[in-house]
Amino acid sequence: MHEPAVPAQSTALIDRLGLAMRASHVLVLIFVVGGIVFAALGTAMGDTFFLRLATEALIFAGLALSVDILLGYTGLLSLGQALYFGLGAYVSAVVLKQVASFWAAMAAVLLVSLVVGLLAGLIANRVRGVYFALVTFGLAQVVAKAVYNTRALGASDGMIGVPIVPVDLGLVVVMSNAPAGFFLVALGVIVVLYALSAYLLDTPFGRVLVALRANERRVPFLGYSTRSARLAAYVLAAVVAALSGALYPMLRGFVSPELLFFATSGNAVITVVVGGVGTLAGALYGGVILTLLKSVVGSITQHHLVVIGLLFMATVIFLPKGLLGLVTPRIERLLGRGR
Amino acid sequence: MSELTEYIQFVLAPQMITGLALGVAVVLVALGLTIIFGLLDVINMAHGEFYAVGAYLALALGASGVSFWLLLVIVPLLMVPLGYAVERGLIQRVFNTPDRHVTTLLLTFGLGLVLEEGLKVVFGPNTQRPPTPIAGAVEVMGVILPSYRLFLIIVGGAIVGAVALALNKTRLGAIVRAAAFDRNMAASLGVPVTRVFAGTFAFGVALAGLAGVLLAPIYSVFPTMGRDFIFLAFTVVIVGGMGSVAGAVVAGLLITQVQAMASLIVSPVWSDPIVFGIMVLVLVVRPQGMFRRLGHA
Repeated sequence: MHEPAVPAQSTALIDRLGLAMRASHVLVLIFVVGGIVFAALGTAMGDTFFLRLATEALIFAGLALSVDILLGYTGLLSLGQALYFGLGAYVSAVVLKQVASFWAAMAAVLLVSLVVGLLAGLIANRVRGVYFALVTFGLAQVVAKAVYNTRALGASDGMIGVPIVPVDLGLVVVMSNAPAGFFLVALGVIVVLYALSAYLLDTPFGRVLVALRANERRVPFLGYSTRSARLAAYVLAAVVAALSGALYPMLRGFVSPELLFFATSGNAVITVVVGGVGTLAGALYGGVILTLLKSVVGSITQHHLVVIGLLFMATVIFLPKGLLGLVTPRIERLLGRGR
Repeated sequence: MSELTEYIQFVLAPQMITGLALGVAVVLVALGLTIIFGLLDVINMAHGEFYAVGAYLALALGASGVSFWLLLVIVPLLMVPLGYAVERGLIQRVFNTPDRHVTTLLLTFGLGLVLEEGLKVVFGPNTQRPPTPIAGAVEVMGVILPSYRLFLIIVGGAIVGAVALALNKTRLGAIVRAAAFDRNMAASLGVPVTRVFAGTFAFGVALAGLAGVLLAPIYSVFPTMGRDFIFLAFTVVIVGGMGSVAGAVVAGLLITQVQAMASLIVSPVWSDPIVFGIMVLVLVVRPQGMFRRLGHA
């Protein structure tokens, strides 16, 4: 009967945010397949070193993911995300030294990070923009100093002697010192964290975040609360960072206050910016690229930070969308054509 | 009674003077930060590293025989072209991106990283300490004060005063304030805004370098010295009001005094949490800080 009022111009009708999210899913799928292939190759060649290095890269990619939730979706730059990463690592280490249970540690970290994220979020979300960056920076600084001086938490030495934990996955039990096995566990955890974040950010809640990034004053006129949306994003980021950090003591057997320091937060920001802000997948790829770069450049000179800093500055100036910004438009076009 | 006077004479007064010396130094660094923010709307995350560069320049030139008094002039002059180049070559490139705050913050953060690592490459990771240019101590009303700290307070105070005077009473200062208030209007009235921006940035960097020269003999020189110092400077700028000169001075002196007094009661370990507590309190009660922004009377 009725012809559609708008002629079928497929490109105009496509939901661009949804498309970007699906492009990210494709990239993560490639990432996971690559990870599994890497694990298989590593096992076949009897490698330990690179598998463990890659596991660490994944753990720090989780931290970068949490920075991207804030920076990419709400436009808030956190310079203190190491606070939650370190919190997760310390809580995990403390729990594991009492009971060597993977799930107990993860549950404790989830609970603690929810509470701390909520409390700190109430402080940090009172301010915007650069003030937010500096408050998060200060908050992490204070906690790092406190841990650094608390003898019960090992003070400046950190805590050593975290036992090897069995990760009970129902069908199989993976020991945390199995290189390929724990790499896959870490990959699984990071993918779950990614899926959770991507799902939440694709709901109307996520759209409110994107909207308040674009124009925070206008969003309340549309009937949405910016405060609760921002707080929810902050807590989500806190949980993601903490659960990634929880894996750290399982891999390394120790935690140190360095995990809480600004260098850790700064690295996560670098990872996201190099990978691509606001893509989620960019955090994962950035983590791998940066770890790779560090070990390659690090084998030539110990001053690899000069190279990484310059690369970072070049990305900020010339590639505002990060390295993934070079490929995502192509993937989006391919996905868009299917309609 | 005599116990009280002894406490004041040997504990309280020296502690206040130590705090004041640190305060003046912090104000010098914070002044550059806040002027740059007030005019350019840029958070210079590399500011602490510029301070470190100044200290290292003083160390290197001092070791090759340049006298301390000459360093106080030469080092800031050497910092000016560096700051000018950074503003024109890096910051201007991303100045007109939609999210200027975050982008410039990221860019200067990267620059700070490169500078800090560069210092490690050139000078090595170890802590070094230049000799104190003015040795000895003077006694003022029974209070013994290290001469160099007294000198720091006087010279630093004079520089801060001169900067405030230049900003508020000279033609050049009026140009800077006009550009901070409304850069488009200032430009249309013939103010060379791009040069004013770069010049102001360079001036802020020079102030940081000067603070480096002045503080090197007290706090030693090491590659990460900027990172340790900048948290305090940022807090001062936030508490005083981003972009406010008067705010930086008042907040800088106030916070360092609170810190100095607090360390008499609790362990100095807690000085960072105390500073942060003040910052959060101010942000909660008065997010815009104590004073108005540069150019906004």
